[in-house]
Amino acid sequence: MSTSWKFLPRRSFLRGLGATIALPLLDAMSPALAAVPPAPRRLAFVYVPNGIDMANWTVQQDGALPAELPRVLQPLAAFREEMLQLGNLTHNSGRAWLDGAGDHGRCSGSYLTGIQVRKSSVDVKASISCDQIIANHVGAETRFASLELGMDDVRQAGDCDSGYSCAYTNNLAWRSETQPLPPILNPRALFERLFGAGPVRSPEERARRARYRRSILDFVRSDTERLAASLGPTDVRKLDEYLSSIREVERQLEKAEGDNATVDPGMQRPYGVPPDFAEHFKLMTDMVTIAFQADLTRVVTFLVTREGSNRAYREIGIPDGHHPLTHHKHNPELMEKVTRINEYHTQQLSSWLGRLRTTPDGDRSLLDHSMIVYGSGISDGNRHLHDDLPTLLIGRGAGAVPGRRITFRKETPMCNFQLTLMDRMGVHVENFGDASGRLDLASLS
Amino acid sequence: MQGSDDTAPGLGVALDVDLQSRPDALLAVALLNGLSAKGEASRICLSISRPSLTTARLADVIAEFYATLPLNAGVSTIGMPDGTPPTPDAPALAAVLARKNADGTPVYASNVQRQVDTAESAVLMRNLLLAQPDGNAAIVLAGPATGLARLLGLFGSRPQLVAKVRHLVLAAGAFRNGSAEPSLASNVAAARQLFSEWPTPLIAVGAEIGEALPYPGARLLSGLAWSAAHPIADAYCALRSMPYDAPTTALAALLHAVHPDAGYFKLSEPGTIAVLDDGRTRFMPSTSGRHRYLIADPAQKERLLAAYVGLVCAQPAPRPARFKPPAVAATPANVPAPTGNVAAPAARGGKP
Repeated sequence: MSTSWKFLPRRSFLRGLGATIALPLLDAMSPALAAVPPAPRRLAFVYVPNGIDMANWTVQQDGALPAELPRVLQPLAAFREEMLQLGNLTHNSGRAWLDGAGDHGRCSGSYLTGIQVRKSSVDVKASISCDQIIANHVGAETRFASLELGMDDVRQAGDCDSGYSCAYTNNLAWRSETQPLPPILNPRALFERLFGAGPVRSPEERARRARYRRSILDFVRSDTERLAASLGPTDVRKLDEYLSSIREVERQLEKAEGDNATVDPGMQRPYGVPPDFAEHFKLMTDMVTIAFQADLTRVVTFLVTREGSNRAYREIGIPDGHHPLTHHKHNPELMEKVTRINEYHTQQLSSWLGRLRTTPDGDRSLLDHSMIVYGSGISDGNRHLHDDLPTLLIGRGAGAVPGRRITFRKETPMCNFQLTLMDRMGVHVENFGDASGRLDLASLS
Repeated sequence: MQGSDDTAPGLGVALDVDLQSRPDALLAVALLNGLSAKGEASRICLSISRPSLTTARLADVIAEFYATLPLNAGVSTIGMPDGTPPTPDAPALAAVLARKNADGTPVYASNVQRQVDTAESAVLMRNLLLAQPDGNAAIVLAGPATGLARLLGLFGSRPQLVAKVRHLVLAAGAFRNGSAEPSLASNVAAARQLFSEWPTPLIAVGAEIGEALPYPGARLLSGLAWSAAHPIADAYCALRSMPYDAPTTALAALLHAVHPDAGYFKLSEPGTIAVLDDGRTRFMPSTSGRHRYLIADPAQKERLLAAYVGLVCAQPAPRPARFKPPAVAATPANVPAPTGNVAAPAARGGKP
């Protein structure tokens, strides 16, 4: 690694009129000949609803992942050596106990909070979620303590599942027992939250401003040039790649907004939300990548779609709603469609992981310093089971030796895993949810 | 809300038993099936009280053998405390599980192959107790207190136990001659924690109760002959040299847990039970004590034996038939009159 004559603080920004861009980790941020500070760990929970086709998900043998992965995991084959599949983790709080129907609302509400949520459509009660416990501890070191993203539905009131409030199905993160943190669905809103420029404007105003649109990079051009003149060649290249990635997100947003105008002139859809699932997923995760790279946040929850989602996946030739398909009653045709949706989701995840892997972070990559948890609060969507929850831990941020399948004892609380993740993020709490302990670290590393 | 209808379920019982060395614990599993078949109790979960993969496999075989409904994932799981199984691991029971049919297939197939196919007993009990209506559960222990002591240590478990568990009944200790009792002696620290910290009423059933009324082994084999291969009968024969009559301590504990007011036993005055270093128990009367122990009532001997034999040898209730759409469209003329619940009492548990 080259060193620079000039020391640059880790939290440095490019500033311009109405815009502020945080910088990624540059060599100039490490004092010459001094020890490089360890890169921070990042944690993201990526949630997919309605369970997963477990027959095409589960690796049958513990130990090293096989050359041929189960079908749903095959899009992630390139990450075989950076991936742990965890078996038998259970969310007892997702089960009915004595509360009857409503597995989707219940398991979504309990997924990161670890408690059984109150069955009510108006008087919600959950608990602080593990991501927010972490954010409370590490959030002061970044501009945003956490980011909450989604792609589906932000209704916070009403009954979304057999008496369970939409607040349970449409949020993963809870700041307190009564305060969910609604996810940002609109990529434009996320972009402007990350880089400034105020709230989302109306379509008309947006169209008027678009005629005069300039890149956010234009506003920080003079600051950029001033900084670049003081950097070494390696840092100049890093800065250029970083700003290019921001510009690429801008272009995608402009394209998405153009697509919206074509598809739906009435613009009932929130402005800037791409109609295409993959494009939407890419935009959101591109911005998470930038947020991680610039250390804008270290904690992300991403509710890909909400529990009970009836989204149709016409992009891959499936016009049926996702949730009804998962109640397939072992109909092979319907089961096949569920598997294809599951594959489609892991394809999107794979694209994002690829970008994390190629994004430098200190002397390694973002993926090396991240823990990406991918999973669902239901295993078998047909039967609404809450044991053996599909769970992947991807990235080397856990310090574990990945590329393995680890099966724990049945009924092992998911909260044990979440306690372990908190430990790995440097946040040590005595108990969480229904945890019975930590996962055996020796088995993870 | 589940559990709020008029047909209240029988008492739920979480059974934690030492199947590898206690024939009475083995018989208690059969007795719980008999109570279930009569609709008087239901099995919340079955766990074994010592780490033993072989015993867990047998427990799984028995649980499946008696299952009357397709079991949910949690309920069908066998609990076992953490720890390393001994070597050799319950060889007598291993021989039972090794039995083969004429075609070479195992007589008793188990879903348990590895430790990860079982759950930690404390977590399993905690999870499944939460699905019980308040005050509608009992825990019966016939083995070391390892799992229950661990349950006490789980974060937040005590208020849940107070809400859900009517009482804990232990087939452990000795209150007549004060001799050491093997289950308590094998983990004195856990036993002491249990007696000192358990938050609900606790009733101990000493070895003297089981010794006063042995179970007739010969009647067991004939009573279980309704199945060509019966895992309880085979395991019973494997645990000791036949013929023998097993003590009934665990049977008394389970029967009292489900029917405390049936008059089968007398109860001691309240007090406190202490466990000595060698596993002996001492009872100290105290009006504020939460412990009691059972006292045999000679007048109930015949009645008690009849109850034991009838319940232990009962067949499981038949599995309800799956609904099938009628081949012919139903008309008022061919629609049968409603007959109440699907599982009518007459359809439950035939006696052998």
